[in-house]
Amino acid sequence: MIEQGVVESAGQCLIKGSKEEAVSLARQVIDGGADPVELMNLAFIPAINEVGDRFGRGQLFLPELITAADAMKAVTDVVNEVLSATTTVRSNKGTILIATVKGDVHDIGKCIVTSLLQANGFRVHDIGRDIDTEKIVEQAVQHDVDIIGTSALLTTTMPRQKELEELLKAKGLREKFKTMVGGAPVTPRWAQRIGADAYAEDAQDGVRKAEQLLAIAVS
Amino acid sequence: MGGVRTAGDLVARMQLNRGMRIDAAKKYVAESLGVAVSDLNDPIVMGEVRDDKNIFWISEGQTTVDGIAAKYNISKLLDLDINCVNRFLKNTGLG
Amino acid sequence: MSKILTRFGDGYKVELTEDEVKADIEEGCNDAASRAGIEPLARDEQEHIFEMFKNQDTLVGIERGREVVMTYDGMSSKIRRAHIVIDRVQSLQVFERALGADTLELSHIDYSFKPCKPINGFELPDLDLLLNSTVAPVYYGAMPNLGLYSQPDGPCPNPADLLPLGKIDEARQAYEEAIEHAVSDIVFVASAMYEAGVDGINIDTVGAAGDADFLTALKATEILKEKYPAMGIEMGMAGEFVLGMHGNLSWRGVKLAGLYPQDQVRLAQQAGATIFGPAINIVTSGTLPWNVARSVTFCKACSEVSEIPVHANLGMGVCGIPLTLTVPVDALSRATKAHVEICRLDGL
Repeated sequence: MIEQGVVESAGQCLIKGSKEEAVSLARQVIDGGADPVELMNLAFIPAINEVGDRFGRGQLFLPELITAADAMKAVTDVVNEVLSATTTVRSNKGTILIATVKGDVHDIGKCIVTSLLQANGFRVHDIGRDIDTEKIVEQAVQHDVDIIGTSALLTTTMPRQKELEELLKAKGLREKFKTMVGGAPVTPRWAQRIGADAYAEDAQDGVRKAEQLLAIAVS
Repeated sequence: MGGVRTAGDLVARMQLNRGMRIDAAKKYVAESLGVAVSDLNDPIVMGEVRDDKNIFWISEGQTTVDGIAAKYNISKLLDLDINCVNRFLKNTGLG
Repeated sequence: MSKILTRFGDGYKVELTEDEVKADIEEGCNDAASRAGIEPLARDEQEHIFEMFKNQDTLVGIERGREVVMTYDGMSSKIRRAHIVIDRVQSLQVFERALGADTLELSHIDYSFKPCKPINGFELPDLDLLLNSTVAPVYYGAMPNLGLYSQPDGPCPNPADLLPLGKIDEARQAYEEAIEHAVSDIVFVASAMYEAGVDGINIDTVGAAGDADFLTALKATEILKEKYPAMGIEMGMAGEFVLGMHGNLSWRGVKLAGLYPQDQVRLAQQAGATIFGPAINIVTSGTLPWNVARSVTFCKACSEVSEIPVHANLGMGVCGIPLTLTVPVDALSRATKAHVEICRLDGL
């Protein structure tokens, strides 16, 4: 059983972004006989969700989000060390390629999405901005990703997201990847119209949708 | 508010250059023009007022005072420095 | 019970029961209140919004006598966006004389101060023509757009590359460097346009690149106000709270990251802005009653503390206006009425 004090301390460690304290807490609790999986499910995973929520409300900022993600990764490594091979905690929820589409040079929002996905245990290949649709597909195949996420900040560059859907179909790759779209002018209706698998309203929603797409239980 | 078709441009000037909030800006403009606050967005009343005071109105075929000349008159009516009017006066040696 | 036809934040229609509309309005208010630490709208104010949505007329209008001033962003390109070939001065004359715009804004199609700097000399003839052929106050507008100062577009290392690598100090340093370049560009462009006769500067979409972007606008405003005390300066925001991309920046002792409109406006007026424009982003999957109630809650708190005019940014995807290229007038008029009547705004 994980005590309430441990849950609170886990949250504090991640919010402070203190990797050392987070790792030390994890080792101490596990050495005390607690179940490492429970430690993750009851303490650290809710804590990283809290970090994401605070970020979305303007109560916590991007540098803190990144240090929290780093601390979370270190804790996951500690937990996996003590578990048998068959019962490891998934340190990688899935692999996502992320890019801003061709003709669009905006990368601030994409950077936030990347950071939040990483914080939540996804492996992210951020291939940059102004990326040609062909290159997005090539890189997705090369990295064998689960999800392709594209961002478009302009109404004039949104059609590139549709182009991606069409190119995937033309190459016979549409079923290989899940696709997720986002960006200021992008809407759920647009995602539906072009045949994308998901629309993400913001970075937090991106994490939720990625988890849904990969059928990962959301705690 | 209706811009130059009413008194919207004048109220806007008091907001932009004096930082006045809406009620204060409307009151100031109404008093400066000698009209009721409730007339400020009435195109009929304001069309006549603007014509009388030579501050541009939508006149369809009739002459009207436009551009810098209208703004010079607005500057006097509102007792407000208008940047381009001051520049005009400086450039012509009138100010 | 008859259903109420309204829309989602992406503009698509939805029918809701009266109870659903009321619940959405209450939830929208509460969401804003809990995020910004402000009061939710009072019951009668929520009821007022409900009555607007219950009214199924295409258009609703504000109460007579409550008319407010309209300012615009990117005005020079609005008519061209409808594929109408028209030059900028003509476009603004149409706004002034045919459409009744209260203010005019000259702007370059590449709507950021950085690209406006090298072509500034070529903006001046248009400004001169505009000032000679219009009567309403003229702004020159652009965005700080701090992103343009990062590599490969600008001289500074790109925080969007550095942050995911955990290079936080380097990213922060890059933002700090970018601020200085951006302030210099804003002051250059605004000074040149003011000395050519413009009535005011619109620093638009402030905070799009986070707290460093907001700091840029505050610093530039402070310098401009010192230099030209009579200059009108409108500061329009990019979103309801200042994103902490840097996280540690402050201005006059106030940490900028995480500030909501009621705190943003205090700093804007201290810096010397004469008009402030809060911006509340639409949530496309939320209904319009939810979005409008939420936005009004934020904007009301801002308007209550402000000493300078507040012009809420009602536009595509902002302040309860659906995220669509062609805005439905039923949605536009309801968002307008709610903001003007409840927030006691000075303009839009």
